[in-house]
Amino acid sequence: MSLIAWREEFTIGLPDVDHEHRELIAMINALHESLGPAAEVERIVAALGEIQARIAAHFALEEREMRRLDYISVTEHKDDHERLLDDIMEITDAVESPADYDPEAFGQRLSRWFTDHFRTHDARLHRWLAGRN
Amino acid sequence: MTANPRQWLRAVFGALEALCSRVFTPAWNPLLQLGALGWFFFWVVVVSGIYLYVFFDTGITRAYDTVEALTHAQPWAGGVMRSLHRYASDGLVAIALVHLLREFALDQMRGKRWFAWITGLPSLMLIYVSGITGYWLVWDVMAQYVAVTTAELLDVLPLFGEPISRNFVNELSLSSRFFTLMSFIHIAAPLLLLLFMWIHIHRHSVARIQPARGLGLLVLGSLLVLSIALPAVSQARADLDVVPATIGLDWFYLPAYPLVQQWGGVTVWQVLGGTLLLLGLMPWLPRKRSPPVAQVSLLNCNGCGRCVADCPFGALSLEARSDWQTYSAEAVVNADRCLSCGLCVGACPTATPFRSASVFSAGIELPQLPLVALREQLRKSCATLTGSDRLVVFACEHAGTMSADLRRNSAVAQMPCIGMLPPSFIDFVFARRLADGVVIAGCGANACYQRFGQRWTEERIAGQRDPWLRARVPRERIALSWAADLRTFRSTLSSLPPLRLSKTDTGKPGLLPAGPRWPVAVRAAGIALLLGMFGGVTAVLATEPAWRQLAPHEAVVRLSIRHATATKIQCKPLTPQQMTDLKPNMRRPVDCPRERWPVYLELEREGKLLYHGTHLPSGLWNDGAATVFRTFRIPAGPQSIVVRMRDSGRASGFDQVRSGTIDLQPGQNFVIEFHSGEGFVWR
Repeated sequence: MSLIAWREEFTIGLPDVDHEHRELIAMINALHESLGPAAEVERIVAALGEIQARIAAHFALEEREMRRLDYISVTEHKDDHERLLDDIMEITDAVESPADYDPEAFGQRLSRWFTDHFRTHDARLHRWLAGRN
Repeated sequence: MTANPRQWLRAVFGALEALCSRVFTPAWNPLLQLGALGWFFFWVVVVSGIYLYVFFDTGITRAYDTVEALTHAQPWAGGVMRSLHRYASDGLVAIALVHLLREFALDQMRGKRWFAWITGLPSLMLIYVSGITGYWLVWDVMAQYVAVTTAELLDVLPLFGEPISRNFVNELSLSSRFFTLMSFIHIAAPLLLLLFMWIHIHRHSVARIQPARGLGLLVLGSLLVLSIALPAVSQARADLDVVPATIGLDWFYLPAYPLVQQWGGVTVWQVLGGTLLLLGLMPWLPRKRSPPVAQVSLLNCNGCGRCVADCPFGALSLEARSDWQTYSAEAVVNADRCLSCGLCVGACPTATPFRSASVFSAGIELPQLPLVALREQLRKSCATLTGSDRLVVFACEHAGTMSADLRRNSAVAQMPCIGMLPPSFIDFVFARRLADGVVIAGCGANACYQRFGQRWTEERIAGQRDPWLRARVPRERIALSWAADLRTFRSTLSSLPPLRLSKTDTGKPGLLPAGPRWPVAVRAAGIALLLGMFGGVTAVLATEPAWRQLAPHEAVVRLSIRHATATKIQCKPLTPQQMTDLKPNMRRPVDCPRERWPVYLELEREGKLLYHGTHLPSGLWNDGAATVFRTFRIPAGPQSIVVRMRDSGRASGFDQVRSGTIDLQPGQNFVIEFHSGEGFVWR
């Protein structure tokens, strides 16, 4: 079963952004499915590196859209993006310390890392966008 | 081996900039905002000029009178405004010339940076036109000198049907409407200048047109002090019947004028034209080889626009997507404007060395320095470092040579501009334990060759500009060459607790600590000294040294003749038969060929020929008046003068002669004219 199942709340109403949401979920799910014993750390770190780059680009695009649309909570939303980027570095660090590595806990952490932001900030953006129309 | 002038100049500017950064702080360093200061002076001139214009009156006597009234009847308003107007325009010339020299010294005008250089040249010329016409309006002896010399200079060019010098030959020839024309040009030229200044900065994204507020206030304050201490005043009232022997000249605006007398107008035009041509060709002398421009990798570009926002030269734009991906926009590079500085690479969110081990490409990259190569180089050279003071030095091409202390136990990665460095590379150095400290070596503070490299780097590290350097990166292990004391950095590193990456609980990363500074008192004294020197030089050169255009015992004789001679052939009545032979539209009762005789003139003083020459009638058919305008400087005192003219078809002898002994006063402007019916008239 996928780590993160696609849900309607992942759609916020901006085509470019929604497209990337799908891709990111696919990437995280693919990583989760390939998780195994600690010996594969290097591959996991590489995959996380790729996720870092993609998510950073995704946030950049989403921030551009929010500024373009004069979204009222852009500062809070952006701050949360930066917090997430800080967090993913810590998640990566945890994988790199084999003593602490636990595939199950790692998967849960990754899933939380990704979906919490959706439930709060992206959902608010979604509501704001819907209200605008 | 001797360095070339450019390197020499660059060293001079480097030293001066370093001094000014110490004294003024980098943010207020006037040498690093010359263009902005130019704008500032321009606006001071405009505002003070508007005030002066309210009280100024055009007219031969009114012009001088109204300026005098402005200066003396309202010294605290009009007087100050007039002084501001003069000193700020002198400042504008000085700043523009230093600006030009600096761009040359730093080689910031060749290749793709030609645009600002080329559009700066007409701006400079318009500054001169504005200034020269402005001095004209005051109508004191300097204005008189400017008018006469400008007319002499313009008469060399085939612009006017007859010499415009004849407008300034004596008090009778001058028209008040000339002042109307001058004030029109004096307003039109600055407006045109504004247009060119706007074009001048067109290719610079976020062009700086305001100096730092503190510096602006300091400069305005200095101008005010100067205006009150040494108010600008008029010289003696102009009198075209007298040639002033010595005149105070504004050497910022009029350095070429004495040369007109020394070399003659033709040579002056040749020198000016040659200089301008040389300046105009400089961006291509020699041609600059441009490195390959930035390349977008569409697979890694989602059109977030960060590179567009960070490009200092407006070389990037977001355009409609050209590939199969569902995004709406993509970054597009304008190759004619891209200077390959790499600031776009540093801005790209996908430019991170944490990506998959083998190969990756950021959304935008420099082909000559892919990030994958940079990462590999970094890994390799760091492998040889040992101890607890290992350094990685990220250096820009324009950073000076590094000290031996920095080169020891360090890995150096060079790039075109420090702004090319994605902040994640600093994170990477510490995360992979490649080194214990990172030095970012760029140009002098605020003197970034690529405009924004330093600023973007500082802001990215401080979390004020995307992409942010992650909060977990220990700031105390990073030193910016332009802000920190590099001599102590290495020893500081050894004394730090073990390297640990963790988010600080303060949240947002703070600004970097400022570098060492001189005490406030020393800096204040330095600022006063430097501004005082600048102001003093400006005030002195605005009138001194005086120029002596005439020796104490000399007078001027001017030959100013406008004479329409008789036609060569008398009118002949046509017979009816002759008229019938002509085409209907050509039929006329008399045939009058219009061509006139040329004028041959001789001027003799004390039995010696001063001048002789033949002058053709003007016009395509040689049917207009012949004009002569010549100036001679001769000793004052009694002089026997003979002037002769031949204006008919005769081969020898003269049709008009006048001779006599005149008593020339020193400085007298003695004019010889010819009036039909009266013959030669002199006074």
